[in-house]
Amino acid sequence: MKKIIALLLVCLVGTSLSAQIDRSQMPKPGPAPTVNIGEPDTFTLKNGLKVLVVENDKLPRVSASLIIDNKPYTEKKPGTQAMVSSLLGTGTEKTSKDEFNEEIDFLGASISFGAESAYASSLSKFFPRIMELMAEGALMPKFVQEEFESEKDKLIEGLKSSQKDVGTIANRLSSSLAYGPNHPYGQYVSVETVEDITLDDVENAYRNYFVPEDAYLVIVGDITTKEAKKIVKKTFGKWKKATPPSTTIPEVSPAQYTQIDFVDMPNAVQSEIIVQNTVDLQMADEDYFPVIVMNQILGGSFGSYLNMNLREDKGYTYGARSSVGDSRYASRFRASASVRNAVTDSAVVEFMKEIDRIRNEKVDADKLEDTKKKFAGSFVMRLEQPSTVANYALNIETEGLDKDFYETYLEKINAVTQDDVQRVAQKYLKDDQMQIVIAGKGSEVIENLEKVEFKGKEIPVLYFNKETENVEKPEYKKELPEGVSVETVYNDYISAIGGEEAVSNVNSMMMKGNASVQGMTLSFTSKSAKGGKSLTLVEMNGMTLSKQVFDGEKGYAAAQGQKMDMTEQQIRDTKVTSGLFPELSVSEGAELVGIESVNGEDAYVVKLTDNVREFYSVNSGLKLATETTAEQMGQKMTSTVSYLDYSEKNGVMVPMMLNQNFGPQTIEIKIEEVKLNEGVTDADFE
Amino acid sequence: MTKTIMLSVFVFFITLAQAQQVEFTEYDLDNGLHVILHQDNTAPVVTVGVMYHVGAKDEAPGRTGFAHFFEHLLFEGTENIERGEWFNIVSANGGSNNANTTQDRTYYYETFPSNALELGLWMESERMLHPVINDIGVETQNEVVKEEKRSRIDNAPYGKVIYSTGINPYMFDKHPYKNSVIGTMADLDAAELDEFKDFFDKYYNPNNATLVVAGDINISETKKMVKDYFGPIASGPKVERVDITEDPIEEKIIATDYDSNIQLPLTALVYRTPSMKDRDAYILDMISSVLTDGKSSRMYKRMVDDEKIALQVLAFARSQEDYGTYLIGALPLGDVELSKLRDVMDEEIVKLQTDLISEREYQKLQNKFENRFVNSNASIQGIASSLATYQMLYGNTDLINEEIDIYRSITREEIREVANKYLQENKRLELDYLPEPNE
Repeated sequence: MKKIIALLLVCLVGTSLSAQIDRSQMPKPGPAPTVNIGEPDTFTLKNGLKVLVVENDKLPRVSASLIIDNKPYTEKKPGTQAMVSSLLGTGTEKTSKDEFNEEIDFLGASISFGAESAYASSLSKFFPRIMELMAEGALMPKFVQEEFESEKDKLIEGLKSSQKDVGTIANRLSSSLAYGPNHPYGQYVSVETVEDITLDDVENAYRNYFVPEDAYLVIVGDITTKEAKKIVKKTFGKWKKATPPSTTIPEVSPAQYTQIDFVDMPNAVQSEIIVQNTVDLQMADEDYFPVIVMNQILGGSFGSYLNMNLREDKGYTYGARSSVGDSRYASRFRASASVRNAVTDSAVVEFMKEIDRIRNEKVDADKLEDTKKKFAGSFVMRLEQPSTVANYALNIETEGLDKDFYETYLEKINAVTQDDVQRVAQKYLKDDQMQIVIAGKGSEVIENLEKVEFKGKEIPVLYFNKETENVEKPEYKKELPEGVSVETVYNDYISAIGGEEAVSNVNSMMMKGNASVQGMTLSFTSKSAKGGKSLTLVEMNGMTLSKQVFDGEKGYAAAQGQKMDMTEQQIRDTKVTSGLFPELSVSEGAELVGIESVNGEDAYVVKLTDNVREFYSVNSGLKLATETTAEQMGQKMTSTVSYLDYSEKNGVMVPMMLNQNFGPQTIEIKIEEVKLNEGVTDADFE
Repeated sequence: MTKTIMLSVFVFFITLAQAQQVEFTEYDLDNGLHVILHQDNTAPVVTVGVMYHVGAKDEAPGRTGFAHFFEHLLFEGTENIERGEWFNIVSANGGSNNANTTQDRTYYYETFPSNALELGLWMESERMLHPVINDIGVETQNEVVKEEKRSRIDNAPYGKVIYSTGINPYMFDKHPYKNSVIGTMADLDAAELDEFKDFFDKYYNPNNATLVVAGDINISETKKMVKDYFGPIASGPKVERVDITEDPIEEKIIATDYDSNIQLPLTALVYRTPSMKDRDAYILDMISSVLTDGKSSRMYKRMVDDEKIALQVLAFARSQEDYGTYLIGALPLGDVELSKLRDVMDEEIVKLQTDLISEREYQKLQNKFENRFVNSNASIQGIASSLATYQMLYGNTDLINEEIDIYRSITREEIREVANKYLQENKRLELDYLPEPNE
């Protein structure tokens, strides 16, 4: 007997030795575990509420989830649903809010309410009581003015606090652009719409939509169906039968062409990119399985095209993903990532590249196989949660699916071919109608974004504000580097035009030039001298059209025979720019306010007064422009003089071209003659 | 008669507690790897996890963020798993995986359908045995980690509070907890390839790790596979643990910080708390629940509901191996001054220090913690990480079933006592966290 045991041992040792693992080979998975999708018990109350029960006694707890599957509707005052949701649970006909909350907390349980939903969970020993409280909160709410005001304030504060959240703003704009501002999925809640909401609005929304016609109650956990039935009848049996108002949902129209939709977020350290187009896809559609497989390959997991490119290859982002929604009403394809500012344009290019790839290249057969296995695995793993069984049954009911939809789920995944993937990519990823929504820091990203090309053409950029309204391209201020001040900008300018010594040798300067306006030639003379003195004269055929004189302290403007003394404001505005090289000293109140682009060149902006700003090139130091704002007949008008074609005269650089911009008009003045220290007398400034 | 009732109550308690025992087996391999197995065949799912006893607090000076960076690096591939393949293998076998790093430890895990158990063991043993650590990986993950920092912290409203990067420098002076897990960009850039290799040799050894396998498994088959895959890995030098005692905070620290991602300010009181293993840490956990957990909690009810001075109240209790921090704070509603919020919070703290909580509040705490206990064991993945944490950081795996007994044994008097001991005005940070002023 002992011998036999010894022999057996030897054999065992032998096998374990020969079974030494070869770790260079990846272990193959064993046979697939058997999957057993149970079915929940179901019953319907007289008022129409359908109840699903999944018994599972692994843990001593039970949850109940109420879902009212109404058709979505456009809110007259967006935010009303949010208010219904936050007011439910703030007191009932029977119980004050404090007692209600205290009892839930006391039981260590939780109950929450949505505008058309409710959820409760607790230890099984407290479940009967928790269901009573849930039903009381859901069916017998008492909406009072005081709570209403308080919840409204909180909602408004919350909205204000999300105004700087890059993700929130990007999502808001993307929904609005995808579905349209009047679609239930496209409208957004703003401070203004919430301010309009009254207590009556909330009561009406609750009365109209919190009804049992399309309601489901799902109970999962340590409870028998018999017990559940008893409890549900007692608690939700009294819910009055009613149908929600009928509603039409606006049509969703696709974008006309592929575009970048940009909203400026000056605080952003990353750009939020959302590439999207709307799709018409339901779970019951034949394309459903090919589409979810296609999306899985494109951006559904870590190893997908998008993430492997944008994260693993380029390191642009912490993660890039995509999704294709399915819905009975409207849904969209959406690919997104948060990327650092500097690579925003490159990230857009890579997004479009991967979308193009899945549309035009057949997916690798192995990759497709692996993707299918991923679906099989997730399917199995989801069954760990007892609520999955209930969710599946609920989907079959609400989405109009075949009874065996989930039993045959993996078969249908397996049936998807390489051709299917490409076909649905071409059908659902509409690369000629895509919206590339970006929320980011304009001053750092927009210049390059405007150059992004797709299929050899620049993608047009449209601009939006945070309220999702289309706007003109805004000016983006850049951040000033450290150590830069008005002094350093002025010093750079002076040395760029020849240095302090050369500049201080100039006592006066005269410039003469010509401009052509509507076929007529204007001649232009400018004289300036130390002490802030200046004269500007515009003539045509020897006739004076306009003349502006400033003697350092006061001045006047004359046009068509009329002479007007400068106002105090005009004197202040003229004093800071008048004369020879005012940059030799910094005038009082001068302020460096930022960096802006002047004719494509970055320039430091020096604000001299409320109405005068001057621009100095970041690169060359030269003065690029002077911008003056004047009020005329109650309207603010801005005119800009740009200085171009600098060339050297007696050791000083002088612009040989002046462009005067006034509204839509531009006058180009070509300088013909420049004289230093001659041709100027004090009489010129009288 | 009385005795019988007592007895039946006792029996009732026992059954309740036993209804949710998490059974497990634990043992060491010869190389020092600690192994914990938990069998639960109700769903065909298995989790394989490895926890290494190394975290941000073990980083060399000037290398903040290193441990977390390293975690990223260990997904780059091994001698038998090509670069970029890790996630594909997991995904192709229907699994999911992730990893995370704290001040104290680094945890990697995969969850698979149970037929891929061996695969999971192979992958984690590959990572422990011979990961490929090279320049390409370092360069790529450097960028990825920086993006993670930007999106999680720099771009996130209240990021410096949620992730403690704006808190810990005030709370710790000598202890490495003063640094953040994510680290600074400059430190991330400074790290050289050799340092990563040294870090691996020093900390990523079986004797500094715990392997946990949980779910639909057969214990004896699993033991054999564990031995096959992890047995041959050589053990490394004994790891020296951080052993730094902080001097107590004696004077109130007042600080202001700014966040460009927020529009509403936040004021917070932050206290240094003892090691999470300390009984007092459990008591502070209950105190936190009294103050801010749920709508009937004292601070929520008073500040949000009754007096309407706060939009929200919040608390973050960061429990760690050596010391913790406990933060309570509030966001003002409308024009309410931050000092007003602080005054009210102080009044609530003084109440806890002066009066015992009511019997009903005490019972509420017990119900809450029982509920939390039941829910904490709801998924295989969750059980796996709890088992490893209790074993490695608390030194007692049984806590997965017995931690609830600690909470049950805490008295109302202890709550008052601990509130007095830790929540002292001169021992805290008062932080005003404000929106960045517009330029």
